[in-house]
Amino acid sequence: MSIQQVKCPKCKTPITISGEPGEKIFITCPQCNQKGAYTIPGAQQQKTVTSQAAIEVAGLTKSYNHFTAVNNVSFTVKKGEIFGFLGPNGAGKTTTIKAMLDLIHANAGTIKINGIDIRTNTKEAKKYVGYMPEKVAFYDNLTALQNLSFYAEITHATKEECMHLIEEFGLGDTGKKRVGKFSKGMIQRLGMARAILGNPPILILDEPSGGLDPRGVVLIRDKILEMKKNGATVFVSSHILSEIQEICDRVGIINKGVLVAQDTVEGLSKKLNLKPQITVTLDKITPELENAVKKLPGVDMVNVKGNTLEIICDGAIKAKVILAISTAGGNIQNLQTKEPSLEDVFMRYTEA
Amino acid sequence: MQNNVIISVAKKEIMDNIRNKWIIIVSVIFALLTIASSYYGAAYSKKWSDMGFTIVIIMSMVQYLISIIALILGYGTIIAEVERGSMSSLLSLSATRLEIITGKFLGLASVLSISIFVGFGAAGLIIAANVPNFNFVEYLIFIGASILFGLIFLSISLFFSTIFKRRSTAIGGAVFLWFFFLFILSIIFGIILFSTGSTIIPDWYYGLELLNPVSVYSNFVSINVVPISQMMQTVTTTPITYPSFLTNWLLLPLLFLWIIVFFVLAYWRFNKQDI
Repeated sequence: MSIQQVKCPKCKTPITISGEPGEKIFITCPQCNQKGAYTIPGAQQQKTVTSQAAIEVAGLTKSYNHFTAVNNVSFTVKKGEIFGFLGPNGAGKTTTIKAMLDLIHANAGTIKINGIDIRTNTKEAKKYVGYMPEKVAFYDNLTALQNLSFYAEITHATKEECMHLIEEFGLGDTGKKRVGKFSKGMIQRLGMARAILGNPPILILDEPSGGLDPRGVVLIRDKILEMKKNGATVFVSSHILSEIQEICDRVGIINKGVLVAQDTVEGLSKKLNLKPQITVTLDKITPELENAVKKLPGVDMVNVKGNTLEIICDGAIKAKVILAISTAGGNIQNLQTKEPSLEDVFMRYTEA
Repeated sequence: MQNNVIISVAKKEIMDNIRNKWIIIVSVIFALLTIASSYYGAAYSKKWSDMGFTIVIIMSMVQYLISIIALILGYGTIIAEVERGSMSSLLSLSATRLEIITGKFLGLASVLSISIFVGFGAAGLIIAANVPNFNFVEYLIFIGASILFGLIFLSISLFFSTIFKRRSTAIGGAVFLWFFFLFILSIIFGIILFSTGSTIIPDWYYGLELLNPVSVYSNFVSINVVPISQMMQTVTTTPITYPSFLTNWLLLPLLFLWIIVFFVLAYWRFNKQDI
């Protein structure tokens, strides 16, 4: 049982009604006798992912004539995680994503969404997914609300939800403006709104930040994190690593149609033996000090640039390095450590 | 079974065509041409022609006009959304491709049917008020047959919207098809008939004509609307006798068959398409 406060549309008198979610209540305003109906929200059966693997791709291969766009790609996206799908342009990201939604038919391999095969039970599998394509497109002659309302009809979302999303994505003031007159950034934001319409438990986002200004990028990133907090699984592709690095639990790297790595960011850098870099600024660098650092086991490289020392070493001995500098009489003025970035990982995997 | 995907998609097609005034424009064109044909079409009747004569005149107009309108209405159905990029979003929703293409076809079919019905209907009422003995049943048969005829070309254009990679080539294909059914095919049949040296139309020629939806439509209207057959007798020197196999039981299912065959082909293509 849910209790709601509604306002009479005519005389604005507040009326309290109660009913089951999804129930349509017929109301007569006690003040002005205006008749109306109100549907208690929340009737929607919230879909949840029951399988431990939200998305399972096994042996996916797709060829166009003589060109193999995706070659035997397999990976699993665990329930509740944010999975980054990385690769340079043309690596096969969009082809993989489209196959995940049955937009293209693979030559080989199986894809399961929440354990449901996308080829044999397409409609049921797609119920779990909200998708934002690489090229977001709408019906140009309709407004933002008219567009979302059309999709809402099919996904059983309410008009209130559409209006709420439009507001949330900063498009509340577009009103009667047709989507055809929207900027690229506005269309992209509306695309994200459509992807999360109906609150799907799995989000598949293909380069969601493309064409967005920095504020838009932050908006989408925050939304992804919020969805994860609410229990959603997010699969997000990108060729710009910095925007994904901070939010992803795990990443998969695809290059020339082949999945070359699949792990956490830390796991990948460990595997590749990527090491952090420490940059220390001192008032003065003596050769003894430089030697003291170089002698330490685990230090790979020491570079001197004026009063700055650039040291590449094992992550475990960072503290020892700093200690050695102080012991050698170094007066540390500034200290920066840079962990191996996804960029480094990515470059290593997609080189040559 | 209530299917909200089919209904939503169909509704959107109808709303789009109401928004861009397609329905109104096409209805008005049909109505004006019908009235004009009735009023000015007959040199001998001075004023309003009777229903039979009006139908004879507008039937050929219908063949050219409805077919091209149906092709224009439908040729972009699938390809336009694919080209624009909105098809991938639509297909990512919990909907099958069959539901989407069915919804689109039903939506466009409603638009075409409503335009034909309203246009010819309004004209029919005006003509009926001016001529004696207007046979409403036969006029309704004519409207119904014209709608089916339009749906055949809609179905064909739907198929064309799934086989081309670009909208520009799809419209080219549709226009070619229009020429093929309305001119080329009749010319080919005509040459075949001429080469046999027949002076009257032989029965097998009517059989041949079953391959052309345009002839199926005109023969269906001719055998059902009495004044037409009567009039044909007066304007041709040789009497027209239709072969006994040319019945409603053959022609009516044939009209539906054309619609279904091309719809199935369209679905088959759409279903295996990579978007």
